[in-house]
Amino acid sequence: MTGQTTAVDPRTLSPRAIVWARRRRAWGRLAGQFRRNRAGMAGLVLMGLFVLLALLTPLLFSSSELDVTQATGGVYDPPSAQYWLGTDDSGRNVLALVAWGSRISLLVGLCATVISMVIGTAVGIMAGHYRGVFGGLLDRFTDWFLVIPFLPLAIVLATVLGRSLLNIIIVIGVTSWPGTARLIRAQTLSVEGRPYLERARALGAGNTHQMTRHVLPNVMPLVLANTTLAVSISILSETTLSFLGLGDPTAVSWGSILDDAFSAGAISQGAWWYLAPPGICVVLVVLAFNLVGRALEDILDPHGQGA
Amino acid sequence: MSLTARRSLRTRLLAAAGAGALVLGLAAVAAPSAIAESATPAPTGGAAGGKVTFTIGMTTDIDSANPFTGIVAEAYEIFQMMYPTLTDYSAEDFSTVPGMAESWEESADKLTWTYKIRPGMKWSDGQPMTAADAAYSINRVKNGRYERINYGSYVTNIIKAEAPDDTTLVVKLKKPTPVMLHLAIYILPEHVWKDISEADVKKFKNEPTPGNPIVSGGPFVFVERQVGQFIRMEANPNYWAGKPAIDEVVFRVYGNEDSEAQALKKGEIDFADSLTPNVFNSLKDVAGIGTVSAAYPGFNELAFNTGAALADGTPIGDGNPLLKDPKLRQAMAWAIDRQALVDKVLGGLGSPGSTVIPPNYPLLHLDPADPVGYDPDKAGQLLDAAGYKMGPDNVRVSADGQPLSFRLFGRSNSTTSKKSVEFIKGYLAAVGIQVTVTNLGDSPLTEKIGQGNYDMFEWGWVVDPDPDYQLSTFTCGKRSYKDGGTIYPDLSDSFFCDPAYDKLYEQQSTETDPAKRAEIVKQMQQILYDQTPYVVTYYYTDPQAYRSDRFTGFVPQPSPDGVLLFQWGTWSYDNIKPVSADTGGSTDGTAAAGATSGSGTSWGLIVGIIVLVLIAGGAGFGLARRKATDQDDRE
Repeated sequence: MTGQTTAVDPRTLSPRAIVWARRRRAWGRLAGQFRRNRAGMAGLVLMGLFVLLALLTPLLFSSSELDVTQATGGVYDPPSAQYWLGTDDSGRNVLALVAWGSRISLLVGLCATVISMVIGTAVGIMAGHYRGVFGGLLDRFTDWFLVIPFLPLAIVLATVLGRSLLNIIIVIGVTSWPGTARLIRAQTLSVEGRPYLERARALGAGNTHQMTRHVLPNVMPLVLANTTLAVSISILSETTLSFLGLGDPTAVSWGSILDDAFSAGAISQGAWWYLAPPGICVVLVVLAFNLVGRALEDILDPHGQGA
Repeated sequence: MSLTARRSLRTRLLAAAGAGALVLGLAAVAAPSAIAESATPAPTGGAAGGKVTFTIGMTTDIDSANPFTGIVAEAYEIFQMMYPTLTDYSAEDFSTVPGMAESWEESADKLTWTYKIRPGMKWSDGQPMTAADAAYSINRVKNGRYERINYGSYVTNIIKAEAPDDTTLVVKLKKPTPVMLHLAIYILPEHVWKDISEADVKKFKNEPTPGNPIVSGGPFVFVERQVGQFIRMEANPNYWAGKPAIDEVVFRVYGNEDSEAQALKKGEIDFADSLTPNVFNSLKDVAGIGTVSAAYPGFNELAFNTGAALADGTPIGDGNPLLKDPKLRQAMAWAIDRQALVDKVLGGLGSPGSTVIPPNYPLLHLDPADPVGYDPDKAGQLLDAAGYKMGPDNVRVSADGQPLSFRLFGRSNSTTSKKSVEFIKGYLAAVGIQVTVTNLGDSPLTEKIGQGNYDMFEWGWVVDPDPDYQLSTFTCGKRSYKDGGTIYPDLSDSFFCDPAYDKLYEQQSTETDPAKRAEIVKQMQQILYDQTPYVVTYYYTDPQAYRSDRFTGFVPQPSPDGVLLFQWGTWSYDNIKPVSADTGGSTDGTAAAGATSGSGTSWGLIVGIIVLVLIAGGAGFGLARRKATDQDDRE
C-alpha cells in the first residue's frame, strides 16, 4: 500500500508539497497498518459508537428526562419495554441518564487529556532539550508530580478549586501529565542524538526552531498514541472523582450515576440496572481507547517495531 | 446553628475539614466493611464470651461529646446515656415522669419550684450525685454565654437554682414558665466540670483517655472513642435505676446506609438507625431482623435567608435581598409538590409538611385552615401579582430588573437532602425561578448559614415535646451574634424576625395552662406559615432495624409504634436484654440462619461489586498496559 503516491514526480513540486505528500503517505501507511490490527479496529468501532451516542443524545432523549420532578417511572422499576434499563430511585429512565452521562464523561476525558498532553509534551521536550540546570529542574518537577499519589492530589485539588465541570477537567489535566512528560523526554533525547539535529545546530538553528521543527514532529506519533491511552485514564479518573462526589454536582456523568446509585441503596435493593450500565459503559469506553491506543503504539512506537 | 431541637439533625458532620471528609468518603468507597472491622473494639452480638455487647450502627459520628457543643442527634444520644435530667419524658406518651428528681412542687405564686432529688445516688466514679450538681448545672447554663446556646431557652425565666441540702433543689423564677416540668438541661458532675472554665468550655472535648472514662450519672459510661469510627460505652454499676442488662454499647460509624444494612444482615451490628427508605425496604423481609418505621417528630424544610442580621439588627452576609419578600417565599411554597417528595425522596415513609410543630404532638400541631398545596399555576399567578414577571430564558425578574436566581444548599452527606434539592430545583425552575444547587458538608454549611452567606438551604429539625426550643429559633434574639469580631451562629437559621411573633413567644413561655399555651403556639405557627421563612417539606419517620433474633426488650416511644432507640430518655437502653437470657442460650442457630437469609437480595450486591471490580480492573489494565506489551507483537 505504500506505493500509491510515488507516481508524483518530486522534481515538479515545491518543498512544502513534498512535505505534505510525505505526510499523506505516512498517514496512509498508518491507516493501512491500523486496519490490519484487528483489536485496534474493534476498539475504534466501539469508540465510534460511544462518540455517536454522545453526539446524538440530545436528539434521542430530552434533557427533561434528567429532571427528577418530571420523571415518569416508578421507584426502581426493572428493565421493561418502556424503560430498557429500568428506572432509578426517582423514577428516571436509566438509559437516558447513561446516554447523557456519556457526554460529560467523554467531554471531561477528552478535554483533560488535551491539557495533560500539552503540559506533558511541552515539559517532556524542554526537559529533553535543555540539558543544564533548567532541564534538571524540569526533570525533578516531573519526578515530584510522579511520586505524589494521583488520587489524594486530585481530591485535594478538586476540594480547593470547588466543584464544577471546568475544575474537574483542570484537576485531571494537571495531575496526569508526568507519565507523558517522561515518555516524551526519553524520545526527545533519542531524537536529539541524531546527526541531522547536530547539522541544524551547526546551521544556527535556535532552541525553539529545533524543538518545534525537528523534535516535535518526531515525537508526535508517540504523543498521538499516548493521547488515546490517556483518554481512557482521564475518563476513569472522572468516574472515580465523580463517584467520590467531587464532580460537577449539576452534571450527570457515569461516575455521578454510580455515586447516586450507591448512596440511594441500589445495592441493597438489588437494582442492578442502575449500577451496572454506567459501570459497563466506563469499562467499554476505557477498553476501546486502550485497544486503539495499544494498536497505535505498536505501529508508531519506534521501539516496538522492527522497521 | 443547631438544626434540630435538642436532638438535632439526623445526620451531620462528616466534614470537619473538607479533605478529612473526602478521605472518609474514599475509605467508605474502598471498603465499607473494612472500616467497621478495623474499628471493632470487641466481638459483637448476643452473649458472646459472657460479655453482652450491643452494637449500634449509625451513619453520622457525633460532632462533640461536650453537651454544650454537640448538636447532632447522635451526640444527644450519648449525652442522655451519661447525664440525667431532673424529669424525663415517658416512653408511652411523652408525659412528664420522675428522672433525677423523684417529685416536684410549684409554689402558689408559680415563681418557685422545689424538686426532691433521689437520695443516695452516685456518679460512676463513686462521688455522690446530689442536688448541688443539679443547681450547679442549671446555674452554669444560666450564667454562661456559650453554655446558653444549646439550653438557653430553658433558663430564660430562671433567676437561680439552689441546693439547700443534698435532696432538695430550689429554682427561683422571674416569671411563671411551663418549661420547668421538663427542664432538659443535663445534670453534670460538679466535681469534674468546675475545673473547666467558661473560656475553656468551647474547646473542651469531654472525651475519655485509656483508664479515664468520662464520669457518668446515666446508665452507661463513655470509655472510648475513635473519631469517625466508633464510640464505646460500658454499663454504669452506680446507675440509680440499676445496672443495665447489657454490659457494653458500641456505636459504630458507617460510610452509608447500604453498608450499615449489610453489617446488620451479617450480624456485625445489632441495630441500624436512620436508614434510607430504599435500604429499609430491603430489610423488611429478612428473617431475624425486626423493622420499625417509627413515628418521629422530625421535619425537613426549605429555609430562606429572610434578611440575615445579628441579634441586634446589624445586617450580615450576602443573601439575595429579594427573599425578604414573604410573597415570593409563599409563591415558592405553592410550587413545591410535597407529596411527591414524600413518595420519591422518603419512599413513602413520611407525610407532607405544613407547620414547624409536627403532628406527632397533636395538642400543639396546627393544621392550617388555609393550606398551601401544590399548584404551579397558582404559584405563577402569585409571582405575577407580586411583580415578578417572566423574563428571558424562562427566569422571572423583579420589578427593578433583578433575576430570580438563587443559591440553594443541600447537605452532601445526606442522601435525602441531596435528592430533595434536586426536586426543589426542578419545581422552582418550572415556575421561572432559577436555582443553583451546591451540596456542602454540615460544618461548612452551618458556618455559611450562621454568617448569612446563603439564599436557601435544605435541612431538618427534630422537635422537642416542649415547643419552646423550636419556636425560639424564629425569634429575633436567636439570630447570630458577634464575639470578638467573629460571627457565631445562634439557633436562628432563617434570620426570621417579627415583633408580633416575639411577643407571642414571650406569652407562651410564661403561660402555664397547657390549653392556653397551645392556643398561642398555634397562632405562632400560623404566623410562620403565612410569612414562610421555612417551607416545611415533609415530616419523616425514623426507619430503624434491629436483630430481633439477638436482642429483645426494646421500649418504643411513643407506644406502640415509636422509635426504639434515639428516644427522649434511655428507656430502651435500660431494658434491652439478649434473647439468650430469655430462651436459655439456644439462639445461635437462629442467628446463623438470620445471617444467611439475606442472600435473596445479595446478588444485587454482587453485581455492584463486579461493576466496581471491573472499573478497578479497567484502571489496572490502563496502568499496566505498558508492561503488558505482547512479546509476539515485537517479533
